[in-house]
Amino acid sequence: MEVTLLIQATDDAFQVMEKAKTQAVGILDTATRLTSETREIQKRKLRAILKGAHKAQSGFLNFLATFVLLMIFWVLLSGKFDAFHLTLGVLCSLIIAFLSHDLLFANVRVGDIRVIVQRFLAYVPWHVYQIIVSNFHVAYLALSPKMPIDPQIIRYKTKLESDISWVAFANSITLTPGTVTVDIDGNEFVVHALSSKLADDLNAGEMEDRIAHIFMEADHIYIQDVLDVARIFAALK
Amino acid sequence: MIVQSEDIIIRTIARILIPFIQIFALYVIMHGHYSPGGGFQGGVILGASMVLLFLTHGYEESKARMTEKVALLLSSVGVLIYAGIGMLCLILLGNYLDYSRLATILNVDAAHARSLGILGVEIGVGFAVMAVMFSIFFDISTGGFSPEDKDNGV
Amino acid sequence: MNCFFTVVGLCLCIFVFCALYRAIFGPGVFNRVAAISAIGTKTLVLLLIFGLLYERVDMFIDISMVYALLNFIGCVAAAKYLESQGGIE
Repeated sequence: MEVTLLIQATDDAFQVMEKAKTQAVGILDTATRLTSETREIQKRKLRAILKGAHKAQSGFLNFLATFVLLMIFWVLLSGKFDAFHLTLGVLCSLIIAFLSHDLLFANVRVGDIRVIVQRFLAYVPWHVYQIIVSNFHVAYLALSPKMPIDPQIIRYKTKLESDISWVAFANSITLTPGTVTVDIDGNEFVVHALSSKLADDLNAGEMEDRIAHIFMEADHIYIQDVLDVARIFAALK
Repeated sequence: MIVQSEDIIIRTIARILIPFIQIFALYVIMHGHYSPGGGFQGGVILGASMVLLFLTHGYEESKARMTEKVALLLSSVGVLIYAGIGMLCLILLGNYLDYSRLATILNVDAAHARSLGILGVEIGVGFAVMAVMFSIFFDISTGGFSPEDKDNGV
Repeated sequence: MNCFFTVVGLCLCIFVFCALYRAIFGPGVFNRVAAISAIGTKTLVLLLIFGLLYERVDMFIDISMVYALLNFIGCVAAAKYLESQGGIE
């Protein structure tokens, strides 16, 4: 009697496991299809960045923001506030904003500018601190008698998404003493580092996280990471 | 043939800097009476900004903003402005380029009229210099052949 | 204060001569381009020091900005030419 109950229970357990297995296979199939779509989208975005493509924006808002920025620059340069020079400034800013308004704000939405400027001003002191620390390290390397340098070239794959953030990241790396951005090859930054400590600092990725935080990018979960975790979990079971 | 620069850093920095270079050039033209500058210097900086656009973004992008025909036209317009102001002073019964006669049509006194007249000729000079600098650079770099001239004697 | 700026200007002149050595004797053209660019940067600061010495800084700031722009454009043009030529000579 107990044996029959045991066999029944085992059969039920097997059926539940079969159902769970088919469901899991179905989920993995959907996830694989979505991942390949994500990879296609990522490849297209990379091509768009390298071409310097422009996100679709309101042209008038671009024009207005460029005009305001150029007017501020004119007043900074000129320093005279009488009506004649201000009128000249307005005319010149209008002409140049009309001719070049799609150059300045090509990849950044105008409404984001205030947030980006605030976050950039908060990033600068941290970056200056990094420059000072790296300066001491490179001076120690250069001035010690046996010069323990270990020059290496790192290919760093980046997760940033627009050309301005790439340029900001490359310039930050070059400004920090000991690391120099040699080339940008598709999605990878080719960086020359002077010692393994500087290479480890770069590979830890803190600078890239902070720059992604400035430009409000790369703050979503990639589906590939979720899939990797799920597969590892399934293999462990 | 100048193609678009493959380096994304140069392209991005050039495209952000160019409006500021142009507004600085116009500042130099307009404040010729107060700080170093004037028509020729501002025209050179404007021409240099167009040359930077041409170097970094290639022929296609820069053709959208200034073609060679427009450059030639602008240089003539610059000289026309300069000579035109002179003729205007002549028509108003003064000497050639005697700006004080402009006071009659501008309703200001003679000193202001001279100042505005000089500003006008500086603007004309600025146009002409920018157009000629762009034109010279374009001709030397492409050897005189643009992709549109199909039956140019090679 | 004038004495301090004069000393700073003289030190910069000495560094300009160091870069000039590399511009003349640099093996290859890349060294020469980098040296000219460095000389341009120091010239910029020398102009500002002249402005401080003559007490008309606002005039010399305009001139230094122009020189910085032209230095940048010259560097970009030289690099573009060398890239297309292979930089062998």
